[in-house]
Amino acid sequence: MATRTNEAWLADLRANDETRNMALEDLRAVIQKGLPYALSRWLSPDQPQFGALVDEVTQETLLRVLDQLDTFEGRSQFTTWVHKIAVRIALTELRRKRWRDSSLDELTENEDAPPPPGLLADSHAGPEVSAERSDMLTRVRRIIEEELTDRQRQALILLGMQDMPIEDAARKLKTNRNALYKLLHDARLRLRTRLATEDIAPHDVLSLFEQK
Amino acid sequence: MNLRAFIKKIQNIINPPKEISNETILGFLRVLETLEAEEISCDELYEKLDQYVEREVDKKDAALLMPLVREHLDTCTDCCEEYEALLHIIQENEPK
Repeated sequence: MATRTNEAWLADLRANDETRNMALEDLRAVIQKGLPYALSRWLSPDQPQFGALVDEVTQETLLRVLDQLDTFEGRSQFTTWVHKIAVRIALTELRRKRWRDSSLDELTENEDAPPPPGLLADSHAGPEVSAERSDMLTRVRRIIEEELTDRQRQALILLGMQDMPIEDAARKLKTNRNALYKLLHDARLRLRTRLATEDIAPHDVLSLFEQK
Repeated sequence: MNLRAFIKKIQNIINPPKEISNETILGFLRVLETLEAEEISCDELYEKLDQYVEREVDKKDAALLMPLVREHLDTCTDCCEEYEALLHIIQENEPK
C-alpha cells in the first residue's frame, strides 16, 4: 500500500479516475486493520458477528469520509481522522444493538435493588463508621433531591445505576448526547455549589467510604 | 398549590419516583472535585479527539495542553470509550 501524506490522500480521494479507486481500496485496508483494536473490548475476531460488523462499519466509514472530506482540517494525520470516524460508527452500532430492546421503565425498575456490598453493608466497617456513612448519604441524597431537576435525576439514574451509554440514555430521554452531557454538567456544578454552602467536601464523603 | 404541582403530587403517590442508589451518589461525588466551570460538548470533544490522541501517543502532555478535553473524557463514558478505542488503534496499529 502506498504511503500518502494528508495532501495526497485528499487529492487522490478527490480524483475522478483509477487513482480514487486505489485510494479507496487503501483506505478500506487501513480501516479494517484498525477496527479489531477498537472492537477488542467488545468483540473478538472469533465471534460470528465480527466479520459482518467490520464490513458494515468499513463501508459506512468510507461513505462518511467522502461526504466529510472538506471538513478535514489537517490537525492530525488523515488516517487518524478516518479511524476516529470508524470508531464512532462502530461503537454507536454496538451500543444501539445492546440497548435497542430496553424501555425506559424497564431500565429504571431495578433502581430499588439493594446497594452492592462495600457501602452501607460493608461487614468490615464498625457500627460508628456505618452510622456516619448512612447519615452522610442521607444528607447528600436530600441535597440532590432539592437541587436537581426531575430530568437531571432521571439522567443520573440511567447513567449511574444502569451504566447505560450516554448516547442511548439521550435517546431514551428524547434529547441528544450534547444536551444530556450539558444537563449533567450543570447538575454537577449545582451540586458542588450547594455542598460547599453546607460545608460538605466531596473528598471527605468519599474518604468516609474508604476507611474500614 | 398550582395545578401542575397538584398533578405532580398525585403522580408521585401513584407512581413514586425512583431512588438514586448510593453507588450513583458516590460516583457523582467523585467527579466534583476536579470539575471545571467551563466545559466542552461531546461534539466539540469529537472534533479534537484525533488531535488529542496523537499528542498522547507522541508523549506530549495532552491533558495539560487540552485540559477541557481531559475533563470531558473523565466525566463522559461514551466519549471516553471512543477515546480509548482510537488510542488503542493508533498505539497498536500505527506505532510512531
